[in-house]
Amino acid sequence: MTNGPAVLVEGLGKTYPGGVRAVDRISFEVERGEFFGFLGPNGAGKTTTIKILATLLPKSEGRVEVAGLDVTRDPKAVRQAIGVALQEVGLDDLSKGRDFLELQGLLYGLSRAQARDRAAELLELVGLSSVADRRVGSYSGGMRRRIDLAGALMHNPGVLFLDEPTTGLDPQSRIAVWEHLEELNARGVTIFLTTQHMDEADRLCRRLAIIDHGRLVAEGSPAELKAGVGGDIVHVAFNADDSADDRVDAALAAVRDLPGIRQADIAERGLTATVSDGGAAAPAIMSAFQDANLSIANLSITRPSLDDVFLQHTGRQIRDSDADGDAEDRMWSQWMGVNRR
Amino acid sequence: MLILRESYFIYVRNLKTWLAQPWMIVAAVLSSAFMFLFFGEPLRGITALPGFPADDYQAFLAAMVIVMAVVFSGSDMAMVLLTDMMSGYVDKLLLSPVNRFSILLGTLLIGGTRAMAQVLAIILVATAIGVRFEGGILGILGVIVGTTLLGVAMGCVGLIVAMRTRSVQVTVNSWLLFMPLAFLTSAFMPRDLLTGWFQVAVGLNPIEYIMVAVRAVIIEGWVWDSILPGIWILLATTAVLVGAATYEYRRATN
Repeated sequence: MTNGPAVLVEGLGKTYPGGVRAVDRISFEVERGEFFGFLGPNGAGKTTTIKILATLLPKSEGRVEVAGLDVTRDPKAVRQAIGVALQEVGLDDLSKGRDFLELQGLLYGLSRAQARDRAAELLELVGLSSVADRRVGSYSGGMRRRIDLAGALMHNPGVLFLDEPTTGLDPQSRIAVWEHLEELNARGVTIFLTTQHMDEADRLCRRLAIIDHGRLVAEGSPAELKAGVGGDIVHVAFNADDSADDRVDAALAAVRDLPGIRQADIAERGLTATVSDGGAAAPAIMSAFQDANLSIANLSITRPSLDDVFLQHTGRQIRDSDADGDAEDRMWSQWMGVNRR
Repeated sequence: MLILRESYFIYVRNLKTWLAQPWMIVAAVLSSAFMFLFFGEPLRGITALPGFPADDYQAFLAAMVIVMAVVFSGSDMAMVLLTDMMSGYVDKLLLSPVNRFSILLGTLLIGGTRAMAQVLAIILVATAIGVRFEGGILGILGVIVGTTLLGVAMGCVGLIVAMRTRSVQVTVNSWLLFMPLAFLTSAFMPRDLLTGWFQVAVGLNPIEYIMVAVRAVIIEGWVWDSILPGIWILLATTAVLVGAATYEYRRATN
């Protein structure tokens, strides 16, 4: 790798041929060896960004360097320097796990012997040695993620791009993937990971950026971001059939008028308020609900989590956001990106 | 040389993918055998027509069965490519540092291989039911080489269909596109015996000349007057279609 940060993004913008503005002038840097999280709801621009960084999609404007190389001027060198595992991964269902890995190695310039040894090593690492000679199409969701991750590691890349590596996995598989990633990072591999799981970001990432509607809304370490929320989080779960109920609006308005309330939002049949002192605010919040004729099912006071950081910056919870047209985009990626009419 | 190395790896992968679906191969061979059975038997009497060039109708039909199978293999190639695009496997290849044209070459070569294997199977079936190849072993080799090239050309059409439409609906039905190419020919009787607009349309179809050449090799032997036009048209068609597919591919992968 050449000098410079692992990822340098300056004023990156992407407008799809149909006029959809997916990414709007974002800038950030990822240092060598860093574990960087790129957070946002579906359709926020995560997948578009990662595809531009991985040279799969051309940018509309701005400057993007990966591993010290310009993605537009030197895409081939960038591809050789990075490993990529995208969502909707593009595995070859009819090939055997071992063959899939060996071919990946050969395509990245490994010799046959190197590819064979490296594939065996990685199959061991991701715990798939016993199914190496089965077709990938017969693998479970977790096994598919792991073989894809192994494929991305075949050529020992210095920078790894992972698009939602644990989405759709059961808890054990998620933890297994996390442990692999932590181990890789400990060995010096820079990891750029997108996720919509705040617990994942909190556990793995040393630094995060949050993207919403194509713009970066926050950036920092998980601790900094949480501290930025300030004070305590009071969460009230209420009994109402419908969050659009007038009584909910009344309660929300009343809470927002209380002293010491920094922010209050309704999400998932509950109210989340950021307050300077949780203990002091709770009784007043309870009486606001009583006045609005809403019964409270549960009230909790916690220190801020990344979910709260996200709520503060985007006004909604990460999993509230609906799935968007990204599915199609994922499926077709570059083919569509370039040619969509 | 690197391109050849990379193309070879991608070609081998495509070959394995194909061989992993044995029913597709069985179906392809069966459909050709059915052609002999369902067209050859009932139309046997056509040989009695004045001016009909062959005594054995199955021998006359063999050229049609061979060329038609190869023409329709273009439709299969469209589906093969679309499947890889939809699964994201094409993206996986594009993410790697291989040359874009290695991916294209590895794909076109598999189109040729599939056509070749199918033609080989048809020749075996034809021989089994008593068709004699007047052109001899060299004739058979010539037919195999020529139809392999035609398989590459038809694969290009399939590739363009898949990349242009990116639609399963269109691609699954792309055999419709190949149907006039295959049937507006002297498939069942020589062009002299056809009449009206059909005869004119057949004269305009490049595939017709290729079929005529293949048929000459089978029922007459090395009659260059019938074979050479087919060779030139095959080479020109292949060149144009490979060019078009390359252009389309470059456009789509930037």
